Amino acid sequence: MASGVSFWERIGFRSGGGVGDAGWGRTLGVAIVSLIYFLPVLFIIFTAFKPQELALSVPPTLSPTSFFGLIPDQFVFSPTLENFGSVFSRVMTAGGAPEATGFDRFFFNSIVIATVSVLLALVLGTLASYGFSRYPLKGNDTYLFIILTTRMLPAIVVVIPIILMFRAVGLAGSYTGIILLYTAFNLAFTIWMMKSFFDELSTDVEDAARIDGSSETKVFLKICLPQVVAGLAATFVFGLILTWNEFLFALLLTGPDTRTVPVAMNQAVASGGRGTDWTLLAAIETLFLIPVFLVTFFLQDHLLRGVTFGTVKK
Amino acid sequence: MSLTQSARPTPTLFNVSADNWRLAIVVALVVSIIAGIVLPAAVSFWLIGAMVALVAASFVVNAYRRRYYGGLLVAPAIAVLFVMNIFPLLWSLGLSFFAYQSNQQSIRFVGLNNYIKVLTNEIAAPDNWHALSNTALFVVLTVSAQMIVGFLLAMLFAKQFPLRKYLLILVLTPMMLSVVASGVFFTYYYDPTFGILSYVVNDATDGQFILMSSKAGAVAGIVFADAWMWSPFVMLLVLAGLVSVPKYLYEAAAIDRVSAWRRFWSITFPYIRGLLMLALLFRTIEAFKLADLVILLTKGGNDTMTISYHLIRIANEQNKTSEGAALSYVMLFMVIVLTNLYLYLANRRNKGG
Amino acid sequence: MSTIEIRKLTKKFGDFVAVRDADLSVAAGEVVCLLGPSGCGKTTTLRMIAGLERATAGDVVIAGQRMNDLSPEKRNIAMVFQFYALYPALTVGQNIAMPLHYEKVGKAEMETRVNKVADILHLREVLDRLPGQISEGEKQRIAVARAIVRDPNCFLFDEPLSRLDVELRHSMRGQIKGVLSNLSKATVIVTHDQLEALTMADRIAIMRDGLIEQVGSPHEVFAKPANVFVASFIGTPQMNLIEAQFKGYNNGKAKVVFDQQDVDLSVDPAVANLAPGKVTVGVRPRAFTVVSQDTQDTIEALAELIEPMGAETLIHARTNTGSDIRVVVARHNRVKTGEVLHLIPDRAQTHVFAEDGRAVRA
Repeated sequence: MASGVSFWERIGFRSGGGVGDAGWGRTLGVAIVSLIYFLPVLFIIFTAFKPQELALSVPPTLSPTSFFGLIPDQFVFSPTLENFGSVFSRVMTAGGAPEATGFDRFFFNSIVIATVSVLLALVLGTLASYGFSRYPLKGNDTYLFIILTTRMLPAIVVVIPIILMFRAVGLAGSYTGIILLYTAFNLAFTIWMMKSFFDELSTDVEDAARIDGSSETKVFLKICLPQVVAGLAATFVFGLILTWNEFLFALLLTGPDTRTVPVAMNQAVASGGRGTDWTLLAAIETLFLIPVFLVTFFLQDHLLRGVTFGTVKK
Repeated sequence: MSLTQSARPTPTLFNVSADNWRLAIVVALVVSIIAGIVLPAAVSFWLIGAMVALVAASFVVNAYRRRYYGGLLVAPAIAVLFVMNIFPLLWSLGLSFFAYQSNQQSIRFVGLNNYIKVLTNEIAAPDNWHALSNTALFVVLTVSAQMIVGFLLAMLFAKQFPLRKYLLILVLTPMMLSVVASGVFFTYYYDPTFGILSYVVNDATDGQFILMSSKAGAVAGIVFADAWMWSPFVMLLVLAGLVSVPKYLYEAAAIDRVSAWRRFWSITFPYIRGLLMLALLFRTIEAFKLADLVILLTKGGNDTMTISYHLIRIANEQNKTSEGAALSYVMLFMVIVLTNLYLYLANRRNKGG
Repeated sequence: MSTIEIRKLTKKFGDFVAVRDADLSVAAGEVVCLLGPSGCGKTTTLRMIAGLERATAGDVVIAGQRMNDLSPEKRNIAMVFQFYALYPALTVGQNIAMPLHYEKVGKAEMETRVNKVADILHLREVLDRLPGQISEGEKQRIAVARAIVRDPNCFLFDEPLSRLDVELRHSMRGQIKGVLSNLSKATVIVTHDQLEALTMADRIAIMRDGLIEQVGSPHEVFAKPANVFVASFIGTPQMNLIEAQFKGYNNGKAKVVFDQQDVDLSVDPAVANLAPGKVTVGVRPRAFTVVSQDTQDTIEALAELIEPMGAETLIHARTNTGSDIRVVVARHNRVKTGEVLHLIPDRAQTHVFAEDGRAVRA
């Protein structure tokens, strides 16, 4: 039965399944799937480069180039950078001069608020999940479940007491308020996620370090944390993505100075009464996508490094 | 000075000491109640906050002195959650027993009346139940779609292959979009006049295709958009599990001539079970809260009203704050039952081997 | 027939050549050890035989069939991994039964066969436990049990005992050898521990930097090392390897000069054909006779450090220009530090290696 190599094995699909790595054959297959999956995003990005009048053209324009004649001319538009300019400065009233839109400030707000609150949640959440994992309290599962329930209610229900509370204490419209709220908002996920990573670690190494005289702090920082880098990266990315795009809390709890991009985007697009300004929306979203995209891209190696639990390396 | 484990006796209730958390709780409760009644809100809030901090501090000191590292590590996170989440939750729970509208000053205790109204009133209840059953439909459809698509995508990316890094980021991008933008653009994709979907379908069938014209179409449109956005979330979690399977196990399986089916269930699946559960849990919770896409795509039309959107209408647009709170606690109850069921099943399976 | 043959097997990782032109054949029932320092390519060779690594060039022939392009599943081999590779979610019994599913045997037969190997390897009590709940020695035995539960073409062991403590290692060596001798399969064992190789193998293949340096029985590689590397790698304490100038051969004796000493050494007659020049003289530490007088046949060295090893004593001695010479003498032979030793090497255990490192031997 020496059948030799099949066509599929030759181009990279090993029938061994998991033994060794896949080759270019897999790349081709996955590339097709990934591109199809990415198409709606690509369309938004392309729309950001369209002249405004082409936004709703029928048939829809699909591409800034014809790819050497591959795409018929009717689907091709000539790209422009105008939309990106009007994100930051545009004519607000008919016949008026271009005004600054304040979007530079909103981008800054989004970056500060998301980064600080996600990092804060990561620090507090990692400590807590380590505690839950290594020093279980009485009724540990109950505490964890109560923490989970904080994510269960629709934001609208929690937000009313929070608005009242924030108004009463002067936190409404401040950075501190929204950052603290987002920190709490991210904690539940952080704790559950990191606990599942800590639970998987073999405690042998930690015990060995303790016997060698390492303090608890050192065991945590030097032994445990390095083993859950993948988890930290994944949690950071998820937290960032959720916080970055959060809308309802931001709408109700940020002031003019602390407004984040999703809220401003919603207002910019809806204002003017002329219906949706598609190209402007696409331009804002495209710019807004870049920071999370880059962070995710650079943390990806950590995300995928994986954690080879329980195996002692050579 | 040497501190040995539990060498110190627990202080009795009235023993004034930094680690006497029992006393701290009693003091905090008394002070908070008095402050809440006597002082104006802005002052009493900070006073109550200080009391929370006092209790937290006494817990921390207690945990430190007795080496309850668990308590020590958990306390800061719990404190933040308490102030920002649990406290508002309790507040709205309390509110659900009162008649209160945010645009009026009056407030009146009505006991369980809000709950009775929400569940049985002949005008309000049918809408609520309807929104709940719609939500159940969305939960089942979106979560299963996300789990299936996310899982399949993860399997695609499980092995190392050239350019994997660059292709993976393409698949992850939908999750990074703001719901405002992706929702609005989905209305465009689905638009009967300008939209790409109708353009393609009309071309093929020569008819006038309007996706959102029926409940099935509208539900399909929402489920598709939601699954498209959030399948990458499931994928990333599953992928983290998949890449943590040591390679030598697959090598051993190849040597042992284990079939692909058995290899998956005996080797791979145990590694992703926990993360799959986590994805299921969080996606279910999020699916219960589905509102933004509905608002953007159908505005609740075509019988696509979800409980979360319904709540926004009741609480925000109609200012029926306490009624909304009551309804949301009904919903919370259902989510808790469902997630507990998940966790129970997951734990039982873990123990059963 | 259960045999393994590799011909001109080569593996490159990019520019790095891990294995170069390896030739080896293993007969049915024969146990061959691949022995070498870490990074020498022995594990890569084993993995190419298993099909876990694809050969860059050369052939892998198992049971008379060229198997280069076949995946591990199609080679019908059994392998014990260095880290045992036990399936963590399955019980010990399920782990051992895993290879049997392929044969589609009935439940009853599966149980019988699992119980049989469990009895051989004393695993009956732990069959229902998970791999996380058992000792290292038991894990190792499970890995072996999983390999012998079926009837493969051959057995491959990757550092099977490296994670066990000394005592366990000793008893497992015996057990594995016992199990293997009843199966009459071609077996390849990869190890870096020469004691393991010397005790378990019928033949040993010694590897360095991707090359097989010598293949031979344990006796051969010890008594007739093919080159300086093999000579230095096999045997404890290590063989003394002394750089010397070869002046000529006369009357069964080689005239050599090292460290300003002129010595006549009894050596293999083939040395006669060697041109005068640089050589390496290898003498096992146990091959010296200590005599009382300085003669033309003796090597002189000053005893610097005495290490009693029980039945024998290890002496670190130094020649007047500093070459280190290890000498093992019987316990009753009392030597003090500072004493000058006059040493005569035994002819059969004195090896001359030409400048290229090869042994000069008839």
